[in-house]
Amino acid sequence: MREEILTRLYRWPWLKIVLFVVPALALLLVYLVIPLCMLVVMSFYRSTLFGIVPDFSWNNYLHFARNPMFPNLLLRSIRMALTVTAISLLVSYPFAYFLARATRRYKTALLILVMVPFWTSYLIRTMSWLPILGIKGVVNYSLMSLQIVSSPIEAFLFNEFSVILTLTHIYLPYMVIPIYLSLDRLDGRLLEAAGDLGANPARAFWHVTLPLSLPGVVGGIVMVFIAGFGAYVTPKLLGGSSGIMFGNVLADQYSGTFNWPFGAVLALIMIAVVFVLLTVASRVTRLDAVFGGRA
Amino acid sequence: MSEFDLEFRGVSKHFGEVRAVDDVSFQVRRGEFLSLLGPSGCGKTTSLRMIAGFERPTAGEIFLGGRSVGDTPPYRRNVNTVFQHYALFPHKNVFDNVAFGLRMKRLAAAEIAGRVERMLALVELPGIARRFPNQLSGGQQQRVALARALINEPTVLLLDEPLGALDLKVRRRMQQELKRIHREVGVTFVYVTHDQEEALTMSDRIAVMNHGRVEQLDTSAAIYERPATRFVANFIGLTNLLPGVVERRDGSSVVVQLEGGMRVGAEAPSSAQAGAKVDVAVRPEKIRMTVDKPAPGAVSLEGTVAEVVYQGALTEYHVAPAAGPPVRVVAQNTGQTWEAERVPVGRRVYLSWPDGAALVLPADEAAGDDA
Repeated sequence: MREEILTRLYRWPWLKIVLFVVPALALLLVYLVIPLCMLVVMSFYRSTLFGIVPDFSWNNYLHFARNPMFPNLLLRSIRMALTVTAISLLVSYPFAYFLARATRRYKTALLILVMVPFWTSYLIRTMSWLPILGIKGVVNYSLMSLQIVSSPIEAFLFNEFSVILTLTHIYLPYMVIPIYLSLDRLDGRLLEAAGDLGANPARAFWHVTLPLSLPGVVGGIVMVFIAGFGAYVTPKLLGGSSGIMFGNVLADQYSGTFNWPFGAVLALIMIAVVFVLLTVASRVTRLDAVFGGRA
Repeated sequence: MSEFDLEFRGVSKHFGEVRAVDDVSFQVRRGEFLSLLGPSGCGKTTSLRMIAGFERPTAGEIFLGGRSVGDTPPYRRNVNTVFQHYALFPHKNVFDNVAFGLRMKRLAAAEIAGRVERMLALVELPGIARRFPNQLSGGQQQRVALARALINEPTVLLLDEPLGALDLKVRRRMQQELKRIHREVGVTFVYVTHDQEEALTMSDRIAVMNHGRVEQLDTSAAIYERPATRFVANFIGLTNLLPGVVERRDGSSVVVQLEGGMRVGAEAPSSAQAGAKVDVAVRPEKIRMTVDKPAPGAVSLEGTVAEVVYQGALTEYHVAPAAGPPVRVVAQNTGQTWEAERVPVGRRVYLSWPDGAALVLPADEAAGDDA
């Protein structure tokens, strides 16, 4: 019996592919493809006072387009997510560069320091900013003790600033790790070769290090942007009214106003934005290289 | 300008307690092909890296084109390196790899294009400018690496075991290629290798290195025919070391009494005086082996064939003398059939060699230094 199975596997190599790939495909089908189809169908339904009625109507899409609040909120959420991504990138690249060149002992210690907050609950990491930025928080207390300000500053919390700050803090590892991995993989002899051919350290970085770490950079950008753009808990807890994001309005359609068809439209729009980003990213670099795939 | 493109003056490099390079001095003439030859860990690659500027000497000075380069970083030195594993930029195609050095010098695009094309023609790789390194064979990558370095017209071209990763046939062809290119461009080559055959066939001169020191620096023929130390004699080719004692001196040669009582004449340095313990070094291919007893006076050694190793063009015999280690003798297989020609195991044979083919080496290094 066992012999026979092995013989068949040897005779039909594609059988192996089927065996390995089918479970994953089944999961994708059940948890992604079918729900996505349901979302598309739902987006054409009608929400009435008495519940959701199956229909084929563009009303939900028109509702989005005619009410300037929704497109504006979408653009603002994209802008906030881009800001979070940009700050993360500027902070992470030098750090990842240093990390990749550190000795093994420092490397392990620093990597743990990056990862430990990552394993802490998302909620705790968000809430931890309240006692830091609040009216009686650490920052205001310090500023007042040093007599830099006379009354506590309220502008730290419940606005765009606190949301961007917190999202940057939470998603920083998403940026550090892929950049670190691509820099760590970089062959040091290539930098020697660049120097040997007349490139000073700055030009060697520009012509060799940066292009070869691009998969990591793009991977970090994609992951931080997607996570930041879809943020829902952080703006809800720390955003106040001015720091609200697209994800909050989307969630309201399901848990607040029970307008699931319109929620489906908002969800599809979010997916479209992410899809556009992934398309652009795949033009810049091979996306499988982001996760260590080789040419 | 100095007549020497490269000079080491008392250069040392220590890594912690390890003396990778230990007080090395030598000079390389313009257009010369110098090989640094030695086993791994002998300091040859460290020496090369110091010329390129990747390592800084712990002591001593390096001169390039007559100028000391102690504080010059690699990107300001007019030397270029062909790296052991090529180190081609994987994200750049062949053209951009070769053009890299010229772009760093900010030359005009038209001039770069022309020079890259000529360089690719020189290394016989036309028509692959748009390919990427991972689409090339090892030999092709090697040529691209060579073109990328040579295009900058370096004062000295450094080659770090450039053929090590290639299979034997490609390596042989690339050796010929490198010699041709060296003749055509006339640039000074410094070539690091652990392959003694490669060094012998390619170099004008060879520096044999061991434990961070240069044991001998001379032409290929001199290194092979007149090794200065036991290490050189053993490292370059096969050699027989026959232990014995100097009996008397006779001008530039001495008579040595071997273990077992036979006497042989050999070339000797002036330090070898009567009574000194020495080794007589004879190359296996210099030895003539005869079955019939030759004329008296010509015989150096008598022994019995202990082993016969067929090697195609050659046959290697191990001949056991009355005392001392077996002597290796190599004979050309010139006869019609090997079976008819070979001397069988157990046969009594007589060994002789021409005057001057045997060389006296101090029996051990320390004793030689004392004498």
